[in-house]
Amino acid sequence: MSLGHHHAWLPPGHLRPPDDLHDARSANGFSRSFSGARTPQLRASADADGLHAGTLISDADLAADDDPRIAMFRDLYKRSEAQINDLFANQKSAEEAARSAVADAEETQTKSQRADESAPPPAPAKKPARKLDDDDYDDYDDDDDDDEAPTPPKPNSLGTSHDPSGLPSPSRPSSGSVSVVIEAQKETKKETLEDIRKKLEQDKKATEEAAKRSFHTLFYTLENDRDAMLDQQRLEESERQVEAEMSGQANAGNNPNSNSNGYGSLSSANLGASSLTLKNLIARIDMKRTMVQASDAELRSLMSEVRKNRSKWASEDKIGQEELYEAAEKVLSELKAMTEHSTAFLTRVNKRDAPDYYTSKNSLLFANGSSLFNMLTPISVIKHPMDLGTMTKKLKALQYKSKQEFVDDINLIWSNCFKYNTNPEHFLRKHALYMKKETEKLVPLIPEIVIRDRAEVEAEERRLQLAEMDGADESDDEPIMSSRGRKAPGKSSKKGAAPVRNTPSGSEPPAGQASQPPAPVRSDSDTVMEGTQNGFPTPPPGGAQTPSDPAGVGAGVQGSQGDAMEIDGLIPSNNNTLTALPASGMESEDPEYKVWKQVTKKDRAVIAAERHRLFKGDKLNSEEPALLRTKAGMRRWLRNQMQINAEGDKARESTAQGLDPGAAGETLAEGIEVDEDRVIPDYYDVMSGVPDLPPHLSWKEDSDGNIVDASEEFLRVLPSGSFTQPDSKLSRKMDANMRQMQETRKVCSKIGIVKQMQLQSQMYQNQFQKYQPEPFVEHDVPAHVMNDGGPVISPWVCKAALQRSVAKIFYHTGFEEYQPSALDAVTDIASDFFQKIGETLKSYMETPKLPASETPEPNTAPQWKRAYTEPEMVLHTLSSVGVDVESLESYIKDDVERLGTKLSTAHDRLRSLLSELLRPALADGGEDGSSAFQDGSEQFIGGDFAEDIDEDFFGFKELGLDREFGLATLSVPLHLLQNRMYNAAQAQNTSAAQAVTLFPPPPAYPRITSETLSSQIGLVQGFLGAKLKTSNSESLVEDLELPPKQRPTAGRPRLPASGKIQPPAAASGLTTSPQKRPLPPSAASQQPASKLGMSEPSKKKVKKNSGASIGASESVVEGEEALPGVDGTKASATTAVKPNPADEPSVDATPDLSGKRDMDTGPDGVGAESVDNAASLTNGTVAVDAS
Amino acid sequence: MSTDRTPKYRQEIQQMMFVSGETAEPSVETTTLIEEIVRQQVVEILARSTALATRRGVRSISTDDLIFLIRHDKAKVSRLKTFLSWKDVRKNVKDSDDKGGADAADFAAADDPIAGGVVAGPQDVASKPKNKRARVGLAWDVNSFYSVQVPEREDEEDEEEEEQNYATLQRLAAADERTKHMTREEYVFWSECRQASFTYRKSKRFREWAGFGIVTESKPNDDIVDILGFLTFEIVQTLTEEALKVKEREDREKNRRGGADNGEDSKKRKRETGLFDPPEEGRTPVEPKHIREAYRKLQATPNKNIAMLLHNGRVPARMPLRLI
Repeated sequence: MSLGHHHAWLPPGHLRPPDDLHDARSANGFSRSFSGARTPQLRASADADGLHAGTLISDADLAADDDPRIAMFRDLYKRSEAQINDLFANQKSAEEAARSAVADAEETQTKSQRADESAPPPAPAKKPARKLDDDDYDDYDDDDDDDEAPTPPKPNSLGTSHDPSGLPSPSRPSSGSVSVVIEAQKETKKETLEDIRKKLEQDKKATEEAAKRSFHTLFYTLENDRDAMLDQQRLEESERQVEAEMSGQANAGNNPNSNSNGYGSLSSANLGASSLTLKNLIARIDMKRTMVQASDAELRSLMSEVRKNRSKWASEDKIGQEELYEAAEKVLSELKAMTEHSTAFLTRVNKRDAPDYYTSKNSLLFANGSSLFNMLTPISVIKHPMDLGTMTKKLKALQYKSKQEFVDDINLIWSNCFKYNTNPEHFLRKHALYMKKETEKLVPLIPEIVIRDRAEVEAEERRLQLAEMDGADESDDEPIMSSRGRKAPGKSSKKGAAPVRNTPSGSEPPAGQASQPPAPVRSDSDTVMEGTQNGFPTPPPGGAQTPSDPAGVGAGVQGSQGDAMEIDGLIPSNNNTLTALPASGMESEDPEYKVWKQVTKKDRAVIAAERHRLFKGDKLNSEEPALLRTKAGMRRWLRNQMQINAEGDKARESTAQGLDPGAAGETLAEGIEVDEDRVIPDYYDVMSGVPDLPPHLSWKEDSDGNIVDASEEFLRVLPSGSFTQPDSKLSRKMDANMRQMQETRKVCSKIGIVKQMQLQSQMYQNQFQKYQPEPFVEHDVPAHVMNDGGPVISPWVCKAALQRSVAKIFYHTGFEEYQPSALDAVTDIASDFFQKIGETLKSYMETPKLPASETPEPNTAPQWKRAYTEPEMVLHTLSSVGVDVESLESYIKDDVERLGTKLSTAHDRLRSLLSELLRPALADGGEDGSSAFQDGSEQFIGGDFAEDIDEDFFGFKELGLDREFGLATLSVPLHLLQNRMYNAAQAQNTSAAQAVTLFPPPPAYPRITSETLSSQIGLVQGFLGAKLKTSNSESLVEDLELPPKQRPTAGRPRLPASGKIQPPAAASGLTTSPQKRPLPPSAASQQPASKLGMSEPSKKKVKKNSGASIGASESVVEGEEALPGVDGTKASATTAVKPNPADEPSVDATPDLSGKRDMDTGPDGVGAESVDNAASLTNGTVAVDAS
Repeated sequence: MSTDRTPKYRQEIQQMMFVSGETAEPSVETTTLIEEIVRQQVVEILARSTALATRRGVRSISTDDLIFLIRHDKAKVSRLKTFLSWKDVRKNVKDSDDKGGADAADFAAADDPIAGGVVAGPQDVASKPKNKRARVGLAWDVNSFYSVQVPEREDEEDEEEEEQNYATLQRLAAADERTKHMTREEYVFWSECRQASFTYRKSKRFREWAGFGIVTESKPNDDIVDILGFLTFEIVQTLTEEALKVKEREDREKNRRGGADNGEDSKKRKRETGLFDPPEEGRTPVEPKHIREAYRKLQATPNKNIAMLLHNGRVPARMPLRLI
């Protein structure tokens, strides 16, 4: 863990959680919690240098302290750095400074802390010293991590370092002295015990390690999970039961939560850190006892104030209770946790199960659930039943006074079992045997403490103090030390680091301890042990020594082992559980598997229980919250992955590096959620698996720090044409057919128009919708980017494409349009059909393969071939859906190819029909039909017959046009007749274009006023002047500016019954214009009109001489309507011509105007185009006439 | 029902069967069976075409309805069209006959509906306009694609018709082959047989027989009856041909099996059948079982009709009657 991370943890309050974690996990990680991380480190450093410890007691003591509170004093330390340097310049002065600092408890703590920090003489050590702390925190957090790395046993006899990270630290030399002092001063006693404990630890870890290693190599099934879960449940059940009973008792008694009792109310979680601090503080105070002015009692009360978080077992009055019970409870829970074997011993023996079990006592019962089976058991064998649950109860009721009582009870369980179940083959004996061995392994962890009352102890202290008043200087310290010592173990027992206080052999009876000053006993034995084991002498602070202790230790260890041998008849191996387990299990299981089961049982049980919760009966319970992945789990998974990678060959290093970003993320995330260890292979915890990042998603940067977007190379554009008809001969033919149909339909619509024109006399602009079909174009889907292969699965697009194909076939079959529902229905049927084809084809493809050769040679692997070749598959499929190649072929031949020829035939015929229909006009006459009528029929149409009957039908003769132009006949040129049709078509073509004005209209002519009168031509000036006069010199209004209804128009010319246009009354009709008002010469006002009626200029003229108040276009229409009625039998096409002659007389009234009008239409561009020939002709005629 | 179901067309059926290749004299059971089958088919045709007409909103069936039912059999449709057009020609000729009586021979030649196309051609220019074959347009032809009636054009040969006449020509060729060695009397008999019809000059009997008035309106169009006559002939012919095939296969099988059972006998028989035996088909007539088997074969549901039932569907217990 990095320094930066450590800083994040600076506030002490935040430092607690790791401890919390440990405590909370005490059931889980019990064994691990024994491993005081700091201790081994100190040991190692003590080995490394042989500094004299005594001089540096205080410094060392505090430096050794791993208490996170150190961090709290860090800034203080920095402030007084100079001072500290001074202190180190001279040790004595340092001591002096330290002494002065120990004024009161708080102060002392701070100062000692500083001194502690400054203790390392070499300057560079300062930072490392801090670093050391960091490492220690690491240990707090990463106890789990330690498990992963196999910790090689240290060469030194003290035990192993559980802290791989703290091994080679530059601060070692400095802190080494510190640690030595600690050992010597306070925790020396612990050493031998720790040795044992550590061995156990180590074994356990080795076991776990072995198991863990096997995680990667072996797969285990889940079959035992259920058993594990049930066992675990039973254990929890029993604990709950005990809890319930205890709480019932407590309620029955006095205050269950009373702090004076010292248990139950305080959380055990926060105990460790503060007590450890205090321990160091106390050590320091003891050292400088002479300088402290406060009395012991004062100090003690101070201590109790300072010390905040105590275990639930802590009690002011009962010395030693806390640590004894702490350890005992842990041993008990550890024993219970071995659910594999402990199940039978969890609860008291049921009477029903073993009626002969109990003799008289009912208060204490021995749990042996299945002793029922053993009928050989003599009646009333068990006098003192005992079980683990009962022990828990007793423990909680504080009924144990010493370790011995506790151990006796435990052993009573096993011996009861052996006694009751005499049959050596009985399965419970195996369990009991195993439990017994475990007990022996664990019992040394319990400190050899006899609980005493505080009053008693203090009295003793005082006595001693008085007796040794004149003793050595150290004697001053001793009482406090010892008193502290009694207190300290309780405090330092946090995390099980210090519960082991005594060697098993050194289990002095409580009486002996009482008679003796307590401090020497412990400190001495520890010191000696350390001395022997470390190989260098540590001067014991206390004078009293018990030389027999070392031997006692050895004897104790051996004794316990001998005990085990006696009872089990087995040789328990303390240093290798791996080998011991199968032996003790006495089962023929694979040892590795056994270990596996053992180690992972707890976690498996938890996981199985989690899974189990999800089910209700045989079904999934939807009410149950889902299992969620945890960050810790994922982190662990990643870590394991990395570890595996690291363990793997070096060739895969690159992949491990590839995971590095992930590792960084891991550390970042580490602070968010507490880590949680599980001794379980990854595949057990499926939820925590983190899938590999696809390589193209990984975050890569090039040399410039730009992000390389690797995704691009995985993207591809959907090739075009996926949703269109592929180009083929058939599709081209079909397209051609459809195009042919469209063309033919166009011809048809023309024919329809012509026929309609023949029938209908009157036509409207939009009467005939132009049929101009566009060729069919299949649009592909827009560019589509995909990031993987395969087709686009898009049902709607696919359906739309199929729909279009169906529609095409519809059209090809002759339907011009279809209802969407019909199209949908057919599309669905088609897709269904194709699905059937696909399924059939698939079933043929999936037919089991056949051996390739009839007689396969025995030596060679049989060659397999498909049951059907591909053509066979297709043919089979086709036949199963009732299609064969012939029918497909005939479809193409008949329904596509022959249809094409039929269509072209029909097209030809229709075209010829159309041309026949148009023959008089268009067939040979070109676009305008000018050269039509070679066969003489024109005479009739054009009115040439009028000459024959001597009828001036059109009034040409009357107008003198025949002479004027030398007209041979009075017929109207036929191309004029056809113009009507032509116009109808043109109007449709140009209707859109007309809206667009190519040129801006010329400025409007000014209105005629008296001012502008002079600019008019002289001819009209008089007339206009008169008009102005009548209008009171107001400007004259153009007729065309008026609304159509108000325009002064002459009454419509009525045709007489004869149908002949009446010649005007006089030849001078030119002057008698029906127009009442003067037409202003300015054509500007006519501009809109000419625009309006551009396509029918002739109609304007009609309007002008028709006096009726009707709009220009209306009058034309009406004129046209009226005339055919007169014409009678004549072809309706001729009617278009007639208005023109009718116009003649009136148009002449303003010859110059008409000329102007022609000019005006010119600029309009479009209008000029559409002015038909008739208009120009008429105008031309008029102009000539006028001149 | 069964009482009044006395066979009415025995002779016609016999003749038709003779034309279709059955040389021996079929039993009464056979002809009765065929007659029943034909009747069933006719009733079915009438019912379906009536339904079609109803869907169009018309009460009386038209030729289009009938032709629509057999539209998938292009050869048959083509023959039918030929038949109808020649019928038209005949009518025209008859009309002109009434006027001038010039084309009596032509009329006689055109009598035969099938052979008529070959025999009866326009004989002289004068008769040509009257004799012009009116093409029978079908509602689903290309010509109906357009809003405007596609004009006919005389000079264009309907190549499609020629092609689709292939089956007809095959038949004629077969008939030619059969008649090649006939004596004059035999040929007379043959041509008499060819004129056999269910409807020709016995339309009243046919109407009663086919259940007009029950299945459909009682007064059918003349064309309808003619088409039905044509179709009934086709049915009998198809049945007979199929039955002959069945019988031939059966005979072959019988010979082979006999050979397997007792080798000597079969060998002997084979030897016997070699030289002087009368032609095989002359010996035993088609029996009802052959007809039944042929009918079963013709009624077999093709895969196409049940393709949509693949994979998850179940073939319905009863498929609609197939028109032969």
